[in-house]
Amino acid sequence: MASRREFLQIGVAALALPISARAGLAPAILGQANESTPTPLYKVIFDERFASSRAFADEVKRLGGSVYGIKGDITDLWFTDLDARWKREPVGIAGLTEHGPLFCLERLAWDHGMRVVYRADHTYRADGYMEHELSGSERMLREAVNISSSGPDWGNRTASLLTRCPASKAQASKMTVVTPTLQQADDPEHLVSWVIAPVGAARKFSHS
Amino acid sequence: MRLPPGVSSADFAAAIKQFEDALGKEWVFTSEEDVDLYRDSYSPFWHEQEEPIPSAAVAPDGVEQVQAVVKIANRYKIPLWTISTGKNLGYGGSAPLLGGSVVLDLKRMNRVLEVNDKNHYALVEPGVSYFDLYRYIQDNNLKVWIDPADPGWGSPIGNAVDRGGGRTPMRDHFDAHCGMEVVLPNGEVMRTGMGALPGSKTWQQYRYGFGPYVNGMFSQSSLGVVTKMGFWLFPEPEAYLTGTVTVARRDDLIPLVAGLAYLMNSSIVLGTTSVASPLNFLRADAELAALRAQPGGPSTQELEHYLQEKNMGYWSVELPFYGPAKVVAAQWEYAKEKFAGIEGVTFKEGTMHRFPVDPKDLPQFQNSVAVGIPSLSVFGVGGARSEGHVWFSPIVPMTGEAVLEAQQVFTDAYKEMGMPTGPLFFLGPASNYPRCFLVLFGFPIEHDVEKNKKNRENFKHLIRVAAEHGWGEYRTHTAFMETVMDTYSFNNHALRRFHETVKDAVDPNGILSPGKCGIWPKSMRKARA
Repeated sequence: MASRREFLQIGVAALALPISARAGLAPAILGQANESTPTPLYKVIFDERFASSRAFADEVKRLGGSVYGIKGDITDLWFTDLDARWKREPVGIAGLTEHGPLFCLERLAWDHGMRVVYRADHTYRADGYMEHELSGSERMLREAVNISSSGPDWGNRTASLLTRCPASKAQASKMTVVTPTLQQADDPEHLVSWVIAPVGAARKFSHS
Repeated sequence: MRLPPGVSSADFAAAIKQFEDALGKEWVFTSEEDVDLYRDSYSPFWHEQEEPIPSAAVAPDGVEQVQAVVKIANRYKIPLWTISTGKNLGYGGSAPLLGGSVVLDLKRMNRVLEVNDKNHYALVEPGVSYFDLYRYIQDNNLKVWIDPADPGWGSPIGNAVDRGGGRTPMRDHFDAHCGMEVVLPNGEVMRTGMGALPGSKTWQQYRYGFGPYVNGMFSQSSLGVVTKMGFWLFPEPEAYLTGTVTVARRDDLIPLVAGLAYLMNSSIVLGTTSVASPLNFLRADAELAALRAQPGGPSTQELEHYLQEKNMGYWSVELPFYGPAKVVAAQWEYAKEKFAGIEGVTFKEGTMHRFPVDPKDLPQFQNSVAVGIPSLSVFGVGGARSEGHVWFSPIVPMTGEAVLEAQQVFTDAYKEMGMPTGPLFFLGPASNYPRCFLVLFGFPIEHDVEKNKKNRENFKHLIRVAAEHGWGEYRTHTAFMETVMDTYSFNNHALRRFHETVKDAVDPNGILSPGKCGIWPKSMRKARA
């Protein structure tokens, strides 16, 4: 069982590690965005099946954001919405989903000059703790540590974090924190919170 | 910057400059960040030096630019690796087989050139996805169906030339094509079939044209870059009906598959179906787990009894019928007669769906791909966090005896390799292709070098075990192409030697996809000998 001391130590130790571009972040091309300017989010994606994701969506709505519910499958989101939207113009999206939807959206976003600029893998452990593997700019990670420490409200509080995420060109970093968090009844073992944002000089295939 | 093998940095720089002049600088990708996007998302070489990473990528927007790229590559002997949408996950994705190759990315060539709903065909470019083609048909209110691969973000051309399969009556994607335009390794443009006749009115109606039929030379091939391809489409049917046939005992598989083969080979059942068993989805059930934990595993009688107690059959097939409502109803009635002789057989009729379907009714389809609607739902299954998989995909005869033998052979092989097995553990067998079964095994990919090395060896072992029993792979990940081609060895590898003769004649500099399907150009064969 991890102690608060342990997770803080893990976090501090990991903060300086540069992230691999394979993880979805491409630090050198993260463009001209101002690090202090939040990425405008066109849609925030949540999974209707999971309690933490629903709480996350409720908070996004309370903050004035536009949400889109899925049940694991992004087909409708892609075909009826994002495909046409991204062909006109790359716009940011965020979400709290399982890995599969992010996997698809990340690859579809690549061809429109967008990248995953923040990602947190949240994994419930059998010992009543949750492991948060965070990757993004150091500023985001500092904020994420506080959010992750919020226990059962982590899904809800993740919403405000993602809505403040810049398409940062700062060197991306990784860290892991462990927090006491009991698994909600209908949450899966593993969820991912993420932000996909347009980045300056990235490869782009979309035509207007 | 990485370099193509055998190419000097000065020559590569000169080639890149010429690519930029021909395509525009923004369509030549050389930064590590951009090039990394072409790495295989499911690479079996994670964290290993052997991972084949491209040196650059180029993205032409039309056939003339493809010709220019090929000519420049010839000038500097630069290997090209052609992709369409690059979503061939499980078989290599967008990554080349040979590290340092330049990816020829055809995604910008994404024009739907024609869809005809009177003669039911389409002509498209390689960057068109199933979603794009479906959208075009919907936007233009055309009464035709496409046959998507399970993930709809793939390319009809890319999937067809890789000989992928779908689910509707047009499910054999290469078989459903009619007419190609190909840029040859010397940069020349060729059209096949009736397309070779200037002004032809039947390029997408009659496949063969005149003289030797060469289209197969451009599937799973390194002999040309397909820049246009025609496809026959399925006329939107009036109705779609499924009927499920369930049998009680293990050995009932033999008459069940015999009946299925008759119905498929008689064109009464034309879509993809697979032989299913509840033993697959009950793997986690405690009672079944206890049976499996017995020394020697469960007997057939124990498994049959276990399923009977749960009021479940041992095997079932869901038969798809497409056509006029009266006809599909009659086909289902006839199918029931064919299986009626199997003791204890049961039948369950599905909903009769009418077309066009109201979009609000789409969720009732368990798999929209079976009715020609592209989807990404295969990625929404959830479950354990996965780093991907590679597909082991042998073809076995469409007989119950062959399926039972394959179960036994692969179970034994898995046990020998120390890999987990169940009483039934492969997907399918499925009828994605006429007259045979495709069985699919998803081999896990991990971010663990030693495990991946072991899995690669196991994969190669399975290829050889399958070949020893007369079962060959229909397609494979780039990492295993040479091993698979090694098994197609009749008469001292006469087929591969023929391919090499053709390769050397058509592509003397060996610039197109060297090593694809185990076929290397002469210069690289010497180096690898």
